[in-house]
Amino acid sequence: MNQRAHATSVLAKRRILETLISPGYYVAQTIGLVLAYLLVAGFVRAVDSSGFNYTLNQAYELIGRSLVGAFGATFVEKLFSEGPFLFTLYIAFLPVLLYLAVSSVFRFGLEKKVGALELLTYGPADGTSYFLAALIKDILMTAIYLVVLLLFLFIAGLLNNLILGPSFYYSLVILFFLSIAIYAYGIFASSLTDNSASAIAVFLGLILFFIIIMMGSFTVVSGYVRNLASVLAWIIKWISPLFYWDLALRFVEMGNWGMYFIGVALLLLLSVVVLFISHLTIKTRGVRA
Amino acid sequence: MIQTRNLTKRYGSFTAVDTVNLNIPAGEIYGFLGPNGAGKTSTIMMLLGIVKPTAGEIRLFDEPYSSKRLDLRRRIGMVPEKHPVGMWTWMTAGEYLQMFAELFSLEEANRRIDHLLERVGLAEVKNKKFSEFSRGMLQKLSFVRALLHDPDILFLDEPISGLDPFGVKQIRDLILEENREGRTIFISSHILSEMEKVCQRVAIIFGGKLMAEDQMKSLLTTLAKDREIHVDLEELPAELIAKVKKLKFVQDAIGAEKTLIVKVPKTGDYRKELSKYLIDQNLVPLSIQEKSLSLEEAFVTITKENINLFAGIGGEK
Repeated sequence: MNQRAHATSVLAKRRILETLISPGYYVAQTIGLVLAYLLVAGFVRAVDSSGFNYTLNQAYELIGRSLVGAFGATFVEKLFSEGPFLFTLYIAFLPVLLYLAVSSVFRFGLEKKVGALELLTYGPADGTSYFLAALIKDILMTAIYLVVLLLFLFIAGLLNNLILGPSFYYSLVILFFLSIAIYAYGIFASSLTDNSASAIAVFLGLILFFIIIMMGSFTVVSGYVRNLASVLAWIIKWISPLFYWDLALRFVEMGNWGMYFIGVALLLLLSVVVLFISHLTIKTRGVRA
Repeated sequence: MIQTRNLTKRYGSFTAVDTVNLNIPAGEIYGFLGPNGAGKTSTIMMLLGIVKPTAGEIRLFDEPYSSKRLDLRRRIGMVPEKHPVGMWTWMTAGEYLQMFAELFSLEEANRRIDHLLERVGLAEVKNKKFSEFSRGMLQKLSFVRALLHDPDILFLDEPISGLDPFGVKQIRDLILEENREGRTIFISSHILSEMEKVCQRVAIIFGGKLMAEDQMKSLLTTLAKDREIHVDLEELPAELIAKVKKLKFVQDAIGAEKTLIVKVPKTGDYRKELSKYLIDQNLVPLSIQEKSLSLEEAFVTITKENINLFAGIGGEK
């Protein structure tokens, strides 16, 4: 094993241990699972003889109207076409995704500012092995949570006579790769900045920007805003992980599994490209604040 | 062991390190001295491969060195000025050292950790969270971390800054002990009085430029313009200073309470002549001491001349 791989594995083990002994990860998981429970229970109460009718449940009505406003009615129909689990998957995944991404970005900034990152690089570690270790930790913690969530929703389905449809499983896989891309953007934001506050601001700014651009491409708004959003969306989409996520899911709808996997591969490629740019940025800017 | 040729670091239009040439043989304690902002830390960061030089060359262990040479970095230990505060707060001193031992793939890491902690007097707090450590304890812990992998070169950045006198002595003893074991030690500091006690050779950096580099004794002798003889007397008659000033080997004389301070040329030792003259004057010298130039004074001399040089005809600024 070369020096960098060894340093990465040692640092990753430490980061995993730190995450497992701190309460944050478990709090985020609990929030996610409670949300999952509430959403599944709420869905069951909003089913009548014609099927799912979100107007029957106050919470779902609010969620449904907001989603229709932001992404359009077609998107919402697709989201609930197989029952509550697809929507629940996304919502229940968010707390853990946000916790892992933001805590890593926060920590990069803090360690850089106080000189801890520099201290690690006095030995056989370097900035890149440090970032890769954090990424490995985030990926592993995400995978663990997705398994927990899958089991939780599977049991919830059994108890309510509901099944997890194929779109759920495809979304689960794409969500895993989407999270890797988001973590890669977290590393990118950290590599550009010198402290926690600016790193988090850049990271959240990027994610918000990707969401706005995606909303712009979904909604049908006439006039200048729509045109501007379309043009921006076309330019930005290539660097947005949400574009590849959407692309892969569209192929699922079309039943084109080959293209679905190409979408997943593109998402992975985007992560590699972002990580490579981050690696170059760390090399250029160094590990000192 | 450590060589640099025309080592330069620029940050935009500001030159932090300007064509610095160093040549440090193995087994030496080398003092790299300068005021804050002189370019000391930038130089160390380049030598560690953490900051990329703008120009120039670094050779460590007779091999070209860059940040890619992780193999050479394994042979270096570094003690920074301050231990990062607020990080790894859940770790004990032992766990912290274990992490670095794993990074270096050390065999028999526990034995080595115990041995080093014993040496610096931290063995009893091995299982204590180091977030509770004092500044001095953290500094010693940093030493242990830097020595874990038995490096050939030890870089110390302001190693005694902020320590109490007891801590200063412990760190000084540790430096000397490590050097006796054959380790090359590069110390960057602005506390000159302390460096004078441990360094065999010193370099003075000012405004990014290397102003002087020599053996400690040679540097002080070269820079001394004259010698000062301090004579403690039972009493100091008022007319004595005027009489002493007339002696042909005396350049100047002043009195401070019961001490006669006489400046003589640095080319000779005039203690005998001065002592004889005082006895002839029916005075009893209680002690006669020659006061040599301190590193602090040498440093002021060098940097002051440098300021004049830069100021040109405008004079000292």
